[in-house]
Amino acid sequence: MNQFYLHQGHSSELTGFPHISEIAIRKNTSIQLDSLVSSIVNEIRIYYILDGKFDWSINERAYVLYPGDLAIILPGQKFGGTKGCMDIGTVCWLSIGVERVEQQRKIIFGTWSGLSETESLTIGNILQLNNTSVLVRMKDAFTIIQTIKDELSQQEIGYATRVNHLIDELLILVVRQSTHQMNLRRDFPQTFTKLEQTLRQNLAHQWTVEEMAALIGLGTTAFSEKVKNYTGFSPLNYLINIRISEATRLLKQQEMNMTEIALETGFYSSQHFSTTFKKLTGYTPVEFRKKK
Amino acid sequence: MECIITIELGTNAVRVFAFDLAGNVVASSKGSYPTFHSQPDYSEQDPEQIFITMLYVLKNLITEKLHPKRYDVRSICFLASMHSLLAIDKHGVPLGNLITWADNRGKKEANELKHSDLGKLIYNATGTPIHPMSPLVKIAWVKNHDPERFNKTFKFLSMKSYILQQLTGEYVIDYSLASATGLLNIHTIGWESKSLDFAGINSERLPELTSVFSSPGKLRKEFQTSLGLSPDTRIMIGSSDGCMATLGAGVWREDKATVTIEDSGAVRIVGKEVLKDEKQRFFNYLITKNCYVSGGPTNNGGVVFEWFAKQFGDFSVPFDTEQIMEGLIRDAANVNAGSDGLVYLPYLLGERAPLWNANARGSYFGINIKHERSHFIRATIEGILYEVYSIGKILQEHRAINSLSVNGSFATIPFCTQLMADIFNKPVHTVANFSSAARGAFLLNAIDMGIYTDLEAAAGSTPFQETIYPRQHDHATYAKYFKIFEKLSVKLEEEFEEIANLQQGGE
Repeated sequence: MNQFYLHQGHSSELTGFPHISEIAIRKNTSIQLDSLVSSIVNEIRIYYILDGKFDWSINERAYVLYPGDLAIILPGQKFGGTKGCMDIGTVCWLSIGVERVEQQRKIIFGTWSGLSETESLTIGNILQLNNTSVLVRMKDAFTIIQTIKDELSQQEIGYATRVNHLIDELLILVVRQSTHQMNLRRDFPQTFTKLEQTLRQNLAHQWTVEEMAALIGLGTTAFSEKVKNYTGFSPLNYLINIRISEATRLLKQQEMNMTEIALETGFYSSQHFSTTFKKLTGYTPVEFRKKK
Repeated sequence: MECIITIELGTNAVRVFAFDLAGNVVASSKGSYPTFHSQPDYSEQDPEQIFITMLYVLKNLITEKLHPKRYDVRSICFLASMHSLLAIDKHGVPLGNLITWADNRGKKEANELKHSDLGKLIYNATGTPIHPMSPLVKIAWVKNHDPERFNKTFKFLSMKSYILQQLTGEYVIDYSLASATGLLNIHTIGWESKSLDFAGINSERLPELTSVFSSPGKLRKEFQTSLGLSPDTRIMIGSSDGCMATLGAGVWREDKATVTIEDSGAVRIVGKEVLKDEKQRFFNYLITKNCYVSGGPTNNGGVVFEWFAKQFGDFSVPFDTEQIMEGLIRDAANVNAGSDGLVYLPYLLGERAPLWNANARGSYFGINIKHERSHFIRATIEGILYEVYSIGKILQEHRAINSLSVNGSFATIPFCTQLMADIFNKPVHTVANFSSAARGAFLLNAIDMGIYTDLEAAAGSTPFQETIYPRQHDHATYAKYFKIFEKLSVKLEEEFEEIANLQQGGE
């Protein structure tokens, strides 16, 4: 494997690609103190292990990586060698700068990406929710990174578009694999329970069916069908069901006001909350709170 | 046209059926709710989610399926899973989640009581085996480990009592569900003072006892409006899922048993007298005065086969457990009865009847070099059914059983039904209705309306769909292997305990 190293600002190949800060394959033959000290990363970094064994700490968790493994580090996460140094072996990586990270997991990739706004938001969201930093058997990812490198050095016609497409493809591959690795795809009830927990913990979020489906690694059609079969509800109706159940609990506790409850449980407004609640229960939330 | 609605508050879902007055299903719907396991022995559900899910499903069924067909709802009859417990404060607000039957936090309380003289007295009086599932044990646990909740509790309810209180304002519990709490004296049909003392409560802290035919009152006005029901719609308290699955399976004579196998399973018989068992192995639940459903429950029914399918099935299509299971059954059918000498103990979840041993564990026994994957599949199914038979076998020490009626998703798989006929060596009837429990609730309601004179007449109205007869040759094979199965199940008691301790992180 030939080593190479392209670095934004130093390598002319990257001039047209301000979002690529580094792409490299490196063979490390000796251990040097403090060669990989833990620090906060502010871009998306993808590492692929070709040879050797690496002790890394990613987002406060220790991992041992072997050939074929891929590590993904998201903006804001801490990354470094567990002992502060780069282990002996061969590793390849790609660092992609993001335009900005907004509150609550919103990663904005930038205009280079061909992903639609919803898709890129969903990908960022899922990557953070899954919280899996290491993926196994990711040879396909290495092939993509190698192709990116070849495109960058050969600069054949259309290469600029291809490079950006390949980065999108790599992100899609990573997010899908991360979901498949999280869900064994054998046990729908168990997987659905996990999804339900995530929904409950983020009830204020305006979930879309795409997001929910992506979280368990199914297409929206298959997902809706499975949910309907298993729960009796469409995904969005199931969500309304959880929202009203949680609102009912909060109403009985007498601590929060109507607007707070409405927003906490994911309704657009107290008006929206009130109408939905009354349609099902016959009571407005205010009446319901007063009833004995 | 008039119809009757049954609402089954089950372990994982609420199932709503609408029947016409002749007993035909005219519409049905379900909605599931999750179970939370915040700690290994805990099994809880959100009472508000159960209530909201029920309302949602009921409302959709009425407005989307019944009203367009011009059906008027004459009455609504409830049935629910047994042994649940919910504490509420004096405003009716739940104190924590609902504790389900599967919750095992009261292991220690149950164990101590079971082996005491008081335990024996309480079992004989209440008919409920002393076990962590029992609300009696659960209340004692709350008293010992959560005194704040215990002291704040105005009433200890079952899931159904809570739902009915939300709908009508009254705190009630029917004889059937009450007889599964360990708190009801099934002979006098009043709260048992020895149980109350053990739980540390008085009867004021329990809902009011009523017959399965009674009504807690009218639906609150708001629900009449939101559900589109008339004020005259009768609300009938109904019974438990176990009792109704028996009634709906057409069994009301003393020489018949029902076998229900879903995730878990039970073998039940009906009679005018309770079964007395020195070893406290059976439950005796009450439907009406002098009418008891008795039998034994197993933890390890379809859930064990599903476990097998998930571990060893070939999942090329994600989440397609059902298809995988069908494939496994086809493979199992190609193996000889008795799996060529491979015997399986299915105790993945410990076991209730007949062992009543929470430490029991699964095991494949007799593996030789010729056994293939398909032998393991068949042995797994045979093991589950041997276990069911072991309950039926001890029931026959008390009653002669001449035929069986089966229901539940696992028991009604044709391959399993035939195996049961062979293992029990008795004819097995299947019933046409896809939900025996809902049909049971319909029948209860129909008796109340005067359509049937009594329980026996109502039960007799359920037609059998098919009768499967035992195959003598296979029965002889199973009988030989069952002997080994039965010996193994008790022989390993010491080792079960040792391995369970290690699995729970002990030394």
